[in-house]
Amino acid sequence: MRKFLLGSVAAGLMLVAGVAQAQETKTIAVSIPAADHGWTGGVVYHAQEQAKRLEARYPGLKVIVKTSPDGASQANALEDLTTQGIDALVTLPHNSDELTDPIRQVKEKGVFITVVDRALTDNAVADLYVAGNNPALGRVAGEYIKEKLNGKGNVVVIRGLPIVIDEERNKGFDEGIAGSDIKVLDRQFGNWSRDDAFKVMQDYLSKYPQIDAVWTQDDDMAVGVLEAIKQANREDIQFVVAGAGMKDMIKKVMDGDKMIPVDILYPPAMVAVAMDLTAAGLYDHLPVRGSYILDATLVTKDNAKDFYYPDSPF
Amino acid sequence: MAIAEGREMGTSAQPPLLEAVGISKSFGPVEVLGDINLALVPGEVHAIIGENGAGKSTLMKILAGHLMPTKGELRIDGQPVVMTGPVDAEHRGIVLVHQEILLAPDLTVAQNIYLGREVRKGLTLDDKAMNKGAAEAVRALGIDIDPTTTVGRLSIAQRQLVQIARALLVPHRIVIFDEPTASLTLTETDALLRVILDIRKKGAAVLYISHRLPEVKEIADRVTVLRDGKLITTRSAEGLEAVDMARLMVGRDVAKLYPDRVATQAVDYALEVDDMTVPGYAQDASFKLRKGEILGFAGLVGAGRTELLEGAVGLRPSHGKVKLNGRPVNFVTVRDSMRAGIVYLSEDRKGKGLLLAQNLGINLTLAALGQFVRGLLIDRGREAKALDSSISEFDIRTRNKDLLAGQLSGGNQQKLLLAKMMLLNPQIVIIDEPTRGIDIGTKEQIYKFIAELAESGKSVIVISSEMQEVIGICDRILVMRNGRIVGEVSGNRMTEDEIVVLATGVTSREAASMAEQA
Amino acid sequence: MTDTTANKNPARRSLGDIDLRAVAPFVALAVLLVLGALVNPNFLGVDNLLNVLTRSAFIAIIAVGATFVISAGGLDLSVGAMSAFVAGVMILFLNTGVVSGEIPMLAVAMLLAIGVGALCGLANGVITTQGRIEPFIVTLGTMGIFRALTIYLAEGGSIAMKAPDLRAAYRPVYFGNVFGVPIPVLVILAVALVGAFLLYRTAFGRHVIAVGSNEDVARYSGIPVNRVRTLTYVIQGVCVAIAVLVYVPRLGAATPTTGLLWELQAITAVVIGGTALKGGVGRIWGTICGALILEVVGNIMVLSNFVSEYLIGAVQGAIIIIAMLVQRSLVRRR
Repeated sequence: MRKFLLGSVAAGLMLVAGVAQAQETKTIAVSIPAADHGWTGGVVYHAQEQAKRLEARYPGLKVIVKTSPDGASQANALEDLTTQGIDALVTLPHNSDELTDPIRQVKEKGVFITVVDRALTDNAVADLYVAGNNPALGRVAGEYIKEKLNGKGNVVVIRGLPIVIDEERNKGFDEGIAGSDIKVLDRQFGNWSRDDAFKVMQDYLSKYPQIDAVWTQDDDMAVGVLEAIKQANREDIQFVVAGAGMKDMIKKVMDGDKMIPVDILYPPAMVAVAMDLTAAGLYDHLPVRGSYILDATLVTKDNAKDFYYPDSPF
Repeated sequence: MAIAEGREMGTSAQPPLLEAVGISKSFGPVEVLGDINLALVPGEVHAIIGENGAGKSTLMKILAGHLMPTKGELRIDGQPVVMTGPVDAEHRGIVLVHQEILLAPDLTVAQNIYLGREVRKGLTLDDKAMNKGAAEAVRALGIDIDPTTTVGRLSIAQRQLVQIARALLVPHRIVIFDEPTASLTLTETDALLRVILDIRKKGAAVLYISHRLPEVKEIADRVTVLRDGKLITTRSAEGLEAVDMARLMVGRDVAKLYPDRVATQAVDYALEVDDMTVPGYAQDASFKLRKGEILGFAGLVGAGRTELLEGAVGLRPSHGKVKLNGRPVNFVTVRDSMRAGIVYLSEDRKGKGLLLAQNLGINLTLAALGQFVRGLLIDRGREAKALDSSISEFDIRTRNKDLLAGQLSGGNQQKLLLAKMMLLNPQIVIIDEPTRGIDIGTKEQIYKFIAELAESGKSVIVISSEMQEVIGICDRILVMRNGRIVGEVSGNRMTEDEIVVLATGVTSREAASMAEQA
Repeated sequence: MTDTTANKNPARRSLGDIDLRAVAPFVALAVLLVLGALVNPNFLGVDNLLNVLTRSAFIAIIAVGATFVISAGGLDLSVGAMSAFVAGVMILFLNTGVVSGEIPMLAVAMLLAIGVGALCGLANGVITTQGRIEPFIVTLGTMGIFRALTIYLAEGGSIAMKAPDLRAAYRPVYFGNVFGVPIPVLVILAVALVGAFLLYRTAFGRHVIAVGSNEDVARYSGIPVNRVRTLTYVIQGVCVAIAVLVYVPRLGAATPTTGLLWELQAITAVVIGGTALKGGVGRIWGTICGALILEVVGNIMVLSNFVSEYLIGAVQGAIIIIAMLVQRSLVRRR
């Protein structure tokens, strides 16, 4: 499989800009998780927006966006979509193990498969793979914390849910801080939920008298973490590193908030990139097969305004 | 009746099947049974009688393995045994027919009878064999019930019989009946008594608990009397009359069960019911209740008496005209009739009358709770006072005021239910089966109470399957058959014969010969 | 009570007469507190205990409502989704800014939230009693409806309070305290006191117990069974709304994860507290204790070092089961 890395989202969009022809009738199905936290909420929003844009750009194109609350219902949704007759499928699978086979069955019907964010267990199934760089998201965070703390300090980690992405990010983080005297005091699951992250952070604060930095890997959870720190009036915590690119957090970075000095991009808009590339492959016969890995860009005060989308729900 | 056959015993020489030696039982500090000695010999019917709370049920439970005695031992065939539970007792051939109905209402008759001992054919159930077996078992009791009917559709009497059939399916040497006839009609009782004699004939022993002393007289070979947890006497039933038994039970003379009473001469009607129909149960029933009158409703179980009166007070969907003190009224729910001064005491004390899992105070004030509310608060002091005065006024016997209603004996439950409804200060009282499952001492008290109600100008309706009872306390009796009021008897026409003819549509002699053939 | 004869009984009550079922949850909580202190000395710190107490507010308040529903023989699975819905509606209203002044605005929004909660509860109650449908099914249905409505209102994302001033004015409702006692803890106490008063001292409470104990007996005693049942759901809805009033100021947002699985936690708290799922028994203080137990277990898990983060769920489940077993064995020994 050929592999090319793209510098940014912007570059991905450039590829197909300005293309408009062909009256062929094609259908793209988009199967994604229902909005169960802020990031997936962003995915749903961007998928729906992009569907409108693509249908305007390619007359004759029909885009069906379908959300599912869990893996099993996503498998059902895939079957239903296939029976409607589709030419391409863009999917962000709930989890890799459960959905690899259902997606393979869709592929066997001759459908072009684009997988977003969560790689399948069999790489041969996806024609196109678009994802954020999960190991890099962890590594960038780790490297930033290492540098900012001068290689020494106590860090607590709040994980998401026990799935592959979370493991990859954690491994990346460990690589990032490798070789330093950074000590990870604790790792607990916050389930990518503000409420749960709030509780876990409260408990960390009770448990550890000295914490230098927090890594939460997700902006939604950072909201809960910040409230817990604010309530405890603790001065020892210097900053929190989260990730994804939620507008509230980007705003804080832009405004120079001390607690949120940086954010690491893992944009839900990646689904739009995937849809765009898929449509380009269908209509413009561009060679889009392969893997598109979006950089885990470090958002700082200097470049934050480039990533601030006040109209997005996320 | 043909039951007196085979009264010759000649069994006293045989060794006892089951023997209780010095049995005592205490719950906490309270001793409910003290030093009971009892021997059951093969081929005898041994009756145990006593007032409520005398310890009969406890003794039964010990003999059937449900309870362990605190002191003393049990012997089977002369060997000391310790029974670990009812299943162990069943293995030893002891079966208990419960007074309460313990059947799964959603299963069929056959499924209930074979519950826990299903007949299998390979891996699957052999429904055919079970239905056949169940049909035979039920027919042996002299009734005809389709084994595939769900139990929930049966009357209480029919359920009782199914329960007996279920118990008798186990190979048995000792059968214990705990008030089996409490909810049965005369014909059904006769059939059951014949079954018991049949069991005796096969060499098993029968332990028989009943409040119906004439029945005991009819069937028992020996009688043991319990009073206050002590064994008063065990003697041969021969020559022992019902009145003697009553005296032994109560410990004093029970001269007269029914109070003296002159039928009311009032001409005003308290309640007039016209063309009342309760769909599925009663059709076009009309009757009038005088002020200060005790009106009886007799009939076979299932004749629609309960349903008719429940319909009249708004407990069931019904249509018809009701007048209260001459004024038309419309009871949509039972709250309406309660407010108008009518109370109905259900025959199903445990299922519809009392909250068995709640204490006495909560039960007592439940219907009249409004009287105990000050502002928003329930006045617990007044509740406690009301409980104290009800306990003394209705002679509710309880060792502890914190007891749950379900822990009271049947008679005391009935008194509590009466007390509960009387708090509403009703003008009309409808009592369904007022003395079912109740001992003779309590019965007397309840009859007296009913008579006093009428004396004080209130009107009473008594629904009862016990003919002696309606005849004994009522001024006038209406008889129902198949959902219709088919006749009225009063004065010296109030006899069992008259009522049976109306209730069954045939004369008592015909009925007896029909039962004989069945 | 002034009547001395009626008072004789409690006076000579010995230790063995105390209802162990009512005491058991408190014993379980005490054991957990000891366990927590052993696991980590910081556990018994005032800050940590206040955190845990404050956090338990949502479940505790909702569970008080659930105690009414369950005592009356019902069940409400929709409370979690209802919380998210009420929170969403409340925040959207706050964002409209139709009322001038922060305090009046918050007051109106609070009243609105309680009204919405009561209406949601009324819907559950009316459908259950008038439609004669199992409450399990009805509230499973409304659970889906409330959840979907929330996501619809949020357009897939979260609903956050926009005005920072309003947020600042509202924040103390969760984070503030009165003489050192966090406000949510005071709210728990107030709700439990009112709940205990309603359930134990009023005719309505007695009717709730009667209906849950035996619906037929209640009906034959002239109790308006359907009205009592419906009112328990309304109380549940109001409790959910009160919990939301404390929840919103914490993070200032309703998200798709708001109230997730709260229904199960509330039911668990009620059952741990000694209320029978089949109805007829209601223990308000036990319920509060149950909610604390749930929160304390979670807290101990994070504070301890010897449980892998992957196994926390299993240990929590085991502790709850053990707590119930201890309770049952205490009761059986009577």
